[in-house]
Amino acid sequence: MKRVPCSGCSLLCDDIIVRSDGLFIDEVIGACLKGKERFDQLTSNNRILSPLIKKNGVIEKCSWEEALEKAIEIIKNSSKPLLYGFSNTTCEAQLKGIELAKAIDGFIDSNASICQGKVLEVAKTTGITLTTVAELINKADLIVLWGANAAESIPRLLNKILFSRGKFRMTGREIRTLIIIDPVKTASFNVMGVRDLALQIQPNKDLELIRVLKEECCVAGSITSEGVAGLDKDDLKRLLLHLSETENGVIITGQGLLRPQSGANIIEELLELIQMVNTKQEKGRISLIMMGGHFNMAGFDQVALSLYGKNGGLQFKNHQLSDNDENIDSKIYNEDFDCSIIVGTDPISHLPRSLSQKLAKKPIIVVDNKNSATTYIADIVLPSAITGIEVAGTAYRLDQIPIELKTILKAPNNIPSDEEILVKIIDKINQS
Amino acid sequence: MAFALDLLQGKVKIDDCTPLLVPKYKKQYDTLKELLGGEEGKKKELRIDVDEDLCDGCGICVTVCPVNARYCPPTLSGKAPDYPPESHQLFQVKGGKCELLNLKHCRRLEAEGRERECRVCETYCPRKAVTIEYQ
Repeated sequence: MKRVPCSGCSLLCDDIIVRSDGLFIDEVIGACLKGKERFDQLTSNNRILSPLIKKNGVIEKCSWEEALEKAIEIIKNSSKPLLYGFSNTTCEAQLKGIELAKAIDGFIDSNASICQGKVLEVAKTTGITLTTVAELINKADLIVLWGANAAESIPRLLNKILFSRGKFRMTGREIRTLIIIDPVKTASFNVMGVRDLALQIQPNKDLELIRVLKEECCVAGSITSEGVAGLDKDDLKRLLLHLSETENGVIITGQGLLRPQSGANIIEELLELIQMVNTKQEKGRISLIMMGGHFNMAGFDQVALSLYGKNGGLQFKNHQLSDNDENIDSKIYNEDFDCSIIVGTDPISHLPRSLSQKLAKKPIIVVDNKNSATTYIADIVLPSAITGIEVAGTAYRLDQIPIELKTILKAPNNIPSDEEILVKIIDKINQS
Repeated sequence: MAFALDLLQGKVKIDDCTPLLVPKYKKQYDTLKELLGGEEGKKKELRIDVDEDLCDGCGICVTVCPVNARYCPPTLSGKAPDYPPESHQLFQVKGGKCELLNLKHCRRLEAEGRERECRVCETYCPRKAVTIEYQ
């Protein structure tokens, strides 16, 4: 019995107690339903245990040699390969993914580019104030959920940062103010107390709210605006008061805040607002946390940034990084690829139908441990061990802190890890 | 508060509270009588139900419970308590669902004379999976 990190979501809880006899996991204590599902994948009927190949339109089992040979053949016949995913694997595998993209002159992007990676992209020019979960546990006094439904997306996040007592506070929930800015009344609203602020704004009006907050930031005492985005003057006043008087506040952004509104970049405006408030603040500061979904979404950004100073959308030409502003959406939309290598994700289910139809037209090689819509239409499926349970490695938590994942059990059938599979492909490409 | 808890559990009756018998509190007396109906004085057991279909194992009940906070130090920083559970521990999350371990140490029943009408587990459950009632 030991405490291990959970790879169920991007919170990477490192306090999960697992009881195992070395062959199976008997009990999982402390993990939420998402974490439990991750451990259940070990014995799930949905698990892929041998390589699959598509023959005459039907996907069937095959040997590793046959699957790898066919995969190499597809890659070699391609001049514009597309590599996508990498958010459900270790940083070591992400490194090998970028190495493979470089070797085959491909385009590589992760799920983060259509999620929280957008924030880091903007932050390169505006700057960003980040914080850590530990700091929030011990010091936070204001938590703002903006377009984020933490209670259902990352179930244990509120437990950790809102209800914990921490080292430097006498009490926990009582001194923490929760503000939720969301057009939908989500389950997160249910944890609100009398001091908290529930702001149900009109849909797609976040930008207007941010702009008014920026204007009024200097004059919190005498608000000129009569209201915005469905909020009245009193709501605005209370919101500004909380933002400007917090000692250690955090804004947690979710997918709800990432879409461009009125043609403007909403993230840029939000980061400017945070900087503005922090400049005026004398006793504290506000930080930002991006609430990603996949457990190592932040990892790909960190790996790509450290290697090339760019957090996604890496296009290689002549084994060198070439300048481009494309991302996975534009690549698929323009059909600027002729085969795709998908690692640990299911773009056929997640992307809009217009994009997934275009993706499905070209040969697909999938590296994953479970069946998904993408594996059903793939040409080659290479099964991998489950990261965080059968494979150790590094993953970045949602607050950009690296966490060391541990091996609890051995993978069945000696299934290799994502990293090992990518190394095999790179070796075969280099040999030929 | 102790009287209210005893009243809910059927240990005492409304008439046991002498100030309520004063004419100026007749309205409150009648309201209480109406609320309790025929249930007054019937012995009742405290029940905390966790709806497994609704619960997603977020562990807020584990962290927020004052008894857990007192006896399981990891919960102070939002961590899962140690395992096997401490004898006073009320809640634990096992297999992705919340489990009620030991009701007798609940603050409503046992707090060295400082029993409280505590409902934090029910109040803060984001999925409304925890319910407290007397049956």
